[in-house]
Amino acid sequence: MTASVPVLAGTRRRRRSSHHSVDLGPVGIVLSVVGLLFLGLPVAALLVRAVLGEQLLATASSKAVVDALILSLFTTLCSLVLIVVFGTPLALLLARRSFRGKWLADVLVDLPMILPPTVAGLALLLAFGVRGTLGMPLDALGFRIPFTTLAVVLAQTFVAAPLYIRSLRAGFASIDRTVEEAAQVDGATRLQLLTRVTMPLATPAVGAGLALAWARALGEFGATIMFAGNIEGRTQTLPLVVYSKFQTSLDASVAAAAVLVMAAFGVLVAVRLTRWRAGVDGRGMV
Amino acid sequence: MNDWSRRAWSVTTGLALAVSLVAGGSLALAQSPAGSIAAGPSPAPTCTPLPPLADATASAASPGASPVVLTNLTVFAAASLNQPFSVMSQSWAAQHPGSELTFSFDASSALRAQIEEGAPADVFASADTRNPQALIDECLAPAPMVVFAANHLIIVVPTANPAGITSPADLATAGVRIVAAGDAVPITRYAEQLISNIAAQPGAPAGYADAIQANIVSREDNVSAVLAKVALGEGDAGIVYVSDATGADGVTAIPVPDDVNVLATYGAVEVATTSTPATSAAFLAYLMGAEGQAILAQYGFLPAQ
Repeated sequence: MTASVPVLAGTRRRRRSSHHSVDLGPVGIVLSVVGLLFLGLPVAALLVRAVLGEQLLATASSKAVVDALILSLFTTLCSLVLIVVFGTPLALLLARRSFRGKWLADVLVDLPMILPPTVAGLALLLAFGVRGTLGMPLDALGFRIPFTTLAVVLAQTFVAAPLYIRSLRAGFASIDRTVEEAAQVDGATRLQLLTRVTMPLATPAVGAGLALAWARALGEFGATIMFAGNIEGRTQTLPLVVYSKFQTSLDASVAAAAVLVMAAFGVLVAVRLTRWRAGVDGRGMV
Repeated sequence: MNDWSRRAWSVTTGLALAVSLVAGGSLALAQSPAGSIAAGPSPAPTCTPLPPLADATASAASPGASPVVLTNLTVFAAASLNQPFSVMSQSWAAQHPGSELTFSFDASSALRAQIEEGAPADVFASADTRNPQALIDECLAPAPMVVFAANHLIIVVPTANPAGITSPADLATAGVRIVAAGDAVPITRYAEQLISNIAAQPGAPAGYADAIQANIVSREDNVSAVLAKVALGEGDAGIVYVSDATGADGVTAIPVPDDVNVLATYGAVEVATTSTPATSAAFLAYLMGAEGQAILAQYGFLPAQ
């Protein structure tokens, strides 16, 4: 138990030092353990239930769960493509350029991350809904976005993009500019500089940002149910299955939830491995 | 570099302008009364009604060589229809090659709101007639409405029955934790009617309705969630449809006397924006047909009167 305490305190420096628990008395240790149990118990209870419920495999392979899993993978992949295409230049812009009103761009990028998801869903509906600002003219042209698979993708993109942009922005900012300047002196074009120098140096940040954005998109619930509804096979992603099946089949709900827990766990481990391998300090990325 | 920052600045300004436009426009739109059924008497529809679906129903319902090509159908259905409709989807697909049913189950009120916001439903099957009627009034569904089922109410308690509830009167006992549904959900209106029926009976406990109101510990999104919370023991009792309690695990049903019970009538409509009116009409015909009615009856629904 004592071995986990320095990790809990969260400072790498202390782990390397040989002095243990200089500022953490027995009360602090007890509080830390209670805190850790509180965080771990719900997830453990879910996984235990998933393992003990003997119908787990049957329900995990039921049509509703499989359809939702496929839909979740497809939509999150689409969201990641959108996030990379539009988020990468935006991250570069925010990391490298200073311009008037930049603070506003920063706030706009951060905002979806701290907005309650239901607010994000309502805002998306008011913008892209049939009576929405952009939705009304689109509807007149025959395009309807709300309550479609596209709406799922847009909701995921809206809430997950900030994680990628912030991670990449920190990655770009941490690149030693002299390396880029050296490449420029050697005659690299702007495109070569980007593809051969800047992006490779930012790879760990791209990886971490993608993993976090994917996890956030995979877990998106509130904005999805507001803006995309809960249509089986079309807009019912895994988190919505957890919600819907809770009312009709607890086993299926637990199965879908277990899949999501494992995905989230995998992402966190992957992010740690990426950072550890790259020797990047994770601070400022999330 | 300077050129760049100027360009970037104008991009940002444009972005900010767009955002404020969106916000402003949305606010204005949000205040417009369109789509609200709570806004008192609705004005007479000014829309041109869509052609009634009677012809399509007739042709699709007649067995044999039908020229109608059926396609996939999206059905928005009340939460209480989850089980019978899921069963129907299998036999429907077997009988109608090329057509599969896709469902969205939730409170009828929530589904109506989604259809008003442009959800691509083909058929809306509601636990009442008020929500489909609202869509008809808003020109979002062509009349007529098909009344396809009815339901009675029943009290459910967890199998262990921790509060020892044996009759509707026990719901008013202080400390009983009642799980109810949200205000707009049809079951809530029916349940309130039931409670006032009981309260109006001679010899009813004084302050019955108020005592029950005080015992409500949660308001769920729809009736399925009420049943699930009671089955998990998170509440001592809930009022649901008889069909919900039929075959449900983890709950015991406490019957409600017929003379105070409320009849819930289920109405379905084709949604105006459906891309497959023929299939929608065929499904409504199936719902009213022998097989649809038999499956509904199997799950405790009553035939529509």
